[in-house]
Amino acid sequence: MFHPKQQKPSSMNSHHERPMCVQGDSGLVLTTDPKPRLRWTVELHERFVDAVTQLGGPDKATPKTIMRVMGVKGLTLYHLKSHLQKFRLGKQPHKDFNDHSMKDASSLELQRNNASSSGILGRSMNDGSNVHITDAIRMQMEVNRRLHEQLEVQRHLQLRIEAQGKYMQTILEKACQTLAGENMASGSYNKAMGPDISGIKDFGPAAMNFPSLQDLNIYGGSDHLELHHQNMDRSSIDPFMHANNDSMMLGKKRPNPYSNNSGKSPLIWADDLRLQELGTAGAAPCLDDHHQIQIAPLSIDRGSDIDSVSDIYETKPILSGDHHDSMGDKKFDASAKLERPSPRRMADRITNHSAISAGGMPQGRSSPFG
Amino acid sequence: MAMVMDLDHFPNFSYSTTTATASTDDGCNWNDWSPVVDWEELSAGQEDFHHLIDSMMVQDVVLNQSPSPSIYQEYNNSSPEYNNSSPEYNMMTDDETNGSDDCKGLRLIHLLMAAAEALTGANKCRELARVILVRLKELVSPNDGTNMERLAAYFTDALQGLLDGTAGGGKHVPGGGGGHQYKEEHHQTEVLAAFQLLQDMSPYVKFGHFTANQAILEAVTHDRRVHIVDYDIMEGIQWASLMQALVSRKDGPPTPHLRITALSRGGSGRRSFGTIQETGRRLTAFAASIGQPFSFHQCRLDSDETFRPSSLKLVRGEALIFNCMLHLPHFSYRAPESIASFLSGSKTLNPRLITLVEEEMGSPSDGGFVGRFMDSLHHYSAVYDSLEAGFPMQGRARALVERVFLGPRIAGSLARIYRGCGEEEWCSWGQWLSAVGFRAVSTSFANHCQAKLLLGLYNDGYRVEELSSNKLVLGWKSRRLLSASIWTSKDSDL
Repeated sequence: MFHPKQQKPSSMNSHHERPMCVQGDSGLVLTTDPKPRLRWTVELHERFVDAVTQLGGPDKATPKTIMRVMGVKGLTLYHLKSHLQKFRLGKQPHKDFNDHSMKDASSLELQRNNASSSGILGRSMNDGSNVHITDAIRMQMEVNRRLHEQLEVQRHLQLRIEAQGKYMQTILEKACQTLAGENMASGSYNKAMGPDISGIKDFGPAAMNFPSLQDLNIYGGSDHLELHHQNMDRSSIDPFMHANNDSMMLGKKRPNPYSNNSGKSPLIWADDLRLQELGTAGAAPCLDDHHQIQIAPLSIDRGSDIDSVSDIYETKPILSGDHHDSMGDKKFDASAKLERPSPRRMADRITNHSAISAGGMPQGRSSPFG
Repeated sequence: MAMVMDLDHFPNFSYSTTTATASTDDGCNWNDWSPVVDWEELSAGQEDFHHLIDSMMVQDVVLNQSPSPSIYQEYNNSSPEYNNSSPEYNMMTDDETNGSDDCKGLRLIHLLMAAAEALTGANKCRELARVILVRLKELVSPNDGTNMERLAAYFTDALQGLLDGTAGGGKHVPGGGGGHQYKEEHHQTEVLAAFQLLQDMSPYVKFGHFTANQAILEAVTHDRRVHIVDYDIMEGIQWASLMQALVSRKDGPPTPHLRITALSRGGSGRRSFGTIQETGRRLTAFAASIGQPFSFHQCRLDSDETFRPSSLKLVRGEALIFNCMLHLPHFSYRAPESIASFLSGSKTLNPRLITLVEEEMGSPSDGGFVGRFMDSLHHYSAVYDSLEAGFPMQGRARALVERVFLGPRIAGSLARIYRGCGEEEWCSWGQWLSAVGFRAVSTSFANHCQAKLLLGLYNDGYRVEELSSNKLVLGWKSRRLLSASIWTSKDSDL
């Protein structure tokens, strides 16, 4: 939309744009730029407003009639045309202002609010009354306050989602640990090795983005140790688990998906789910976890991933960073903060094998298999 | 044989092999189809069943709609009396091949409704219901196929459970005849995996938690001690984000002391004393990691899950909050008496705030069981759709969530409807609260805004509405699914 700057009557801009002005004979103030431009002084503007009102309002008045009514020498149609247009636009947004609720703080909204508030200012300037200015300013402040609040909410939301993600992680880690302990104790590596690797493949990106799932499935079976102490029905173990056991046992080497995708792996997701970048920031460490754990028995080689993971990267080239950029654009600029940092963060974690915020799990984890 | 005679009454069978399974129906071999039905046994009104079976026979009822909730809208409008509407189903044939899914979906709906009708309707006939369910089972599977097929599988099983009289609130989990497991008996890892998936794929859980938490935060801005009584803490996930918010709050006294009392029940499973204890440990560890002063207590419920306010330990000067998450997708139904005891018990203690999250069902129509059955079908189909819309490729993941959480929920929901626990069942807990004398607390702009932002992270079909000043409702497209409302007791000032 329009720049607030251009919105306001030119008299406001005078300091910035027009360094030197001379008063002509006709009473018009012109600048001394190479191209002389008209300066709309307050008086001139007032006369303009008078003329317009005389003619029945900005919509009824035309530059020609205004020129006639004003009777100012040197004033051309061209001047009037542009000024009239600005005047009209200045009056208009004020109507919609009060209807805006903070439904979505898109940048459009932001601009619109700015425009409307400056429109109000413009209008108040046009009326030349101070009361209106304070009203306008108050409204502007209200708008700003709402926007501010919205940004706050957004920031908090992000933190809260992260906190929840971290907490989920502790649950999953605990489950993993218990299972790992149980596996070690019972030496039950020889789970039913169903050939149902396709079960995992099916998950596609899901598997990536729910590393917890992978985590749990490595160990196959359930948390019986903790809860039920029942006999595990091997045959009824989820097909996913088979896949993981498979890879765990066979020690297949797969190309490191992360090196292929340069750390974009966690971003592979249905493009609607932007949450992924920010929501499971907590989960990402788990992903690291998972890889560490899984590879421990095989070798410290991050390449030996779950089958599915590599399959994901091979077969589902759905999303790339581009998607996220476009997604980011869909939302308002402020929200970019919500989305963008996380992918990088996650990417960093994965590519750098850095210690996870959840507490340096990798080191601890390799031991059960050690 | 009566069956053979009836055959003559059905003049037109237009066959179109839209689906393989459908074609087996064309044979009209009633003997094969169901040898157990003795048609002569059926009481008066035999002609009613003609229509019923007729529409089951006709395969090529093809409509241009997909089996989305919109179909159910139509359905709900028409009378639940199957007979009246059946002629319309023999509608125009359409040659679009993609209509086959819709066709099949519609057939499934027909069958389900017929079964529900047979079970309890005017023409109560368990035998017929049995027959219909047999037919349904051939057509559906909980793991494959479209949303409608999987959904119908669970509903079929739920109906079967009702028929067998074994429905006691989600006992049967369809597994293709295989593993019948209580939800509690799902492998812990499965449950956790499914839960993580549920959270990531849909905003239901976060919506409930965050809305409640935001309301709590706003209510305790000036308090130094906060005490939350949680009806069903499960893994305690809700409180992680609350703690984070408390730790980083700017206005009012810095990080208040948080005390959480969780209600535990007997037995084993996710709500047992042991599990809750584990949750407590986890929460304590988490709180320590972020620097939140925290203490955790348990309060045992009676064997019948009645809540007694006297068993709570209260501290002077603390802000008391009652948190009641009822129908998040990963929860199972609690006995209404228990919930009522919790909420009314809270009243005696004058809590600062009561946060309630419950499912939003359609308004109780006069359709009786069938009407509510269809409403429930509509509800869960919206849930299924919402999951699919975001994750069309991850069929296995969704099937897991459905198996672990939604299936048992469906069974429980139908069992409740069937038992027809009187009017109380169908007035929402929110209405109950206001009837009992609690005051509504308006949801703030920030809360509403947060909900909208949260939904914005998921795909576009989700909506949040502010149904009343204290209630935010999350819905999928046009179907309202989950509501979060905030209340306070009359005497405390807020």
